[in-house]
Amino acid sequence: MHDGSGRIEVRQLSKNFGSVQAVANLSFTVEPGSVTGFLGPNGAGKTTTLRMILGLVTPSEGTATINGLPHDKLGHPARVVGSVLENEGFHPKRTARNHLKVYAAAIGVPDRRVEDVLAAVGLTEAGDRHAGGFSLGMRQRLALATALLGDPQVLVLDEPANGLDPEGIAWLRTFLRDFAKQGRTVLVSSHLLAEVEQTIDQVVIISHGQTMYYGQLDDLRNAQRPRVLVLPSNQDALSTALREEQISEIEPADNGRLAVMNTSARQVGDIALRAGVAIYGLEERHADLENLFFQLTSGQYAAAAPQQYGAPHGMPYGTQPSAPYGAPPGAPYEAPPGTPYGPPPGTPYGAPPHGGYGPPQDGWSQQGTVPQPQGQQPYQQDEGNTGWEGQR
Amino acid sequence: MGRSALMGKLVKAEFRKILSTKLWWGLLIVALLVAGSWAGMLSSVFDGIAAELSGSEVMRLAGLELDEISFSVVFLTRAINIATIFPMLFGGLAIASELGRKTITTSFLTAPNRTMLLGAKGITYAIWGAIYGIAIILAATLGIVIGTGGDHLVGFTTWLATAAAGVLSCVLWTLLGLGVGALIGSPVGTVIVLLVYGLALGPISDLVFTGFAEGDANVAGALPNGAANGLTGSTAADTLAAEIQANATGMSSVSSDLLEGFQDTARLAAGGLGSFGLFASAAIFLAWAMLFLALGLWRTQSRDIT
Repeated sequence: MHDGSGRIEVRQLSKNFGSVQAVANLSFTVEPGSVTGFLGPNGAGKTTTLRMILGLVTPSEGTATINGLPHDKLGHPARVVGSVLENEGFHPKRTARNHLKVYAAAIGVPDRRVEDVLAAVGLTEAGDRHAGGFSLGMRQRLALATALLGDPQVLVLDEPANGLDPEGIAWLRTFLRDFAKQGRTVLVSSHLLAEVEQTIDQVVIISHGQTMYYGQLDDLRNAQRPRVLVLPSNQDALSTALREEQISEIEPADNGRLAVMNTSARQVGDIALRAGVAIYGLEERHADLENLFFQLTSGQYAAAAPQQYGAPHGMPYGTQPSAPYGAPPGAPYEAPPGTPYGPPPGTPYGAPPHGGYGPPQDGWSQQGTVPQPQGQQPYQQDEGNTGWEGQR
Repeated sequence: MGRSALMGKLVKAEFRKILSTKLWWGLLIVALLVAGSWAGMLSSVFDGIAAELSGSEVMRLAGLELDEISFSVVFLTRAINIATIFPMLFGGLAIASELGRKTITTSFLTAPNRTMLLGAKGITYAIWGAIYGIAIILAATLGIVIGTGGDHLVGFTTWLATAAAGVLSCVLWTLLGLGVGALIGSPVGTVIVLLVYGLALGPISDLVFTGFAEGDANVAGALPNGAANGLTGSTAADTLAAEIQANATGMSSVSSDLLEGFQDTARLAAGGLGSFGLFASAAIFLAWAMLFLALGLWRTQSRDIT
């Protein structure tokens, strides 16, 4: 029996398709009560990883578990985890309502649950239309409705924003945040950080099938401190003058510029004036996640070997005081000493507001706002006899 | 929750899958038309020939009275054999079309594991194979009634035995198709392979092997198509042979050879070339169906759904 924790654990996961290594020694944990972004460029191995978590693809090495068990040992998997995967899984000639009825039967929830989830995603009116005539956005909504049928504890979504209009994306964002607030788990993949930045708390960034960063999004934001980019007439003279003023974190940047940390443009300008160095350009840079994300993942298509800042083999993330990730070569970014990649020790992952996510018999879903129409008994997840059958 | 309750839910889901699209209906209509018209046409033609032959020299020599022989049973089995193509295709598309349309993803995600999903499909499609079988037999029987004008009907016990064999044959063809579809994975590939085997390769290889064996039981009867035809054809062939034997009142040394010829012709006509008899054929065909189901299950277990 699964542990009801709502935790997704990926341990040293690898997958080879023939000679192609899609995922290489990936490890991370997704905690309940938070939305975790799973980010990486297209082809980085996100979909393969999610499909290994869901038991659709067999790992070459390592394990992926939900609630401590692989997917095929969960017993009632759809009541534990729901997923929105690629836009394909519908028979074009089957109506949306019939599609949901098929899987309601397989999961063992009553047919009125079909109406609940149709309403939850706004497809009630379109329920009797064939899925083959649906737009991409409607198919995404139907996929989400299918995922919600079993009132799952964990949601896994692969690029869910694809095909959604801005209104749909905003709606999905609110939906996922609410879902996580109930102490449930959300893992959402995207190739665009900006798309999910406002939704996620935690982030796993992968590139080339390997973990580039794993931890709180805020830590990633804080890790990149403001810097000043300066184009001086004489780099050596300016560097010397800055060091004399105890400003010693200086790096060469692109186009003959210097990147100076822990200072302001005004201070750099004043020091340059005193040192008699001409300034041709001066610019303050603040934390830019998208840029950082690009740097972390651009190695995939660059000539430089991605292994350079790859995952430490056989090392679980978050257990090391300072993981040895170097910055990408030439990138004006440097991890501050003592700031490990990975969740900082003692930082709770968004502890659930209402005493958290208990084992199923605690009736976690009763706190829920997710598709439970008024006047109906809340669905209580139970492996025994108080499930749907008990209410019939 | 017990395994059987879980299985019941998956079977219910499979029934909903089938009934919410048109494939079952389309294939069933065509199966009924083929079975009915095939039986009707063959029996009608033979009825005419029988009328011409009645009282002819050969018949008198053999002492046979064609009206006393339920030759229509041959057309019943022939009609069943040709119509089994459709439940076979129906079974073949069970998993292949889910793989093709990627609905298999959701099916896997909502089932406890792949083995149980395939088990539920096996149960569901066995039931559907029986539904197809019963419908096909009724259509073929109707075809014979119309084709012979009600003159040369099959005796009830013979009909019942043939009908039971026909239903079993449809169930096993459906399951064999299910296994082949799961093994191949592509709907188009599955349909092509099943049709090529069922319509061409199977019958031709049966003929060739039986030709080498000069009509005796042989390797053809051990192959899926030969075993299936042996299952449906044995009852008919035995019934006919017995009736010819019993009817051959004017037995003479001349007609003895002739009688044997008639019996061989009856076996040939009923299908079941090179067959090993009713029960052996049933066992062999069952083994083939289970083999392909097992291969399909094995392939499904190891398949990555990307």
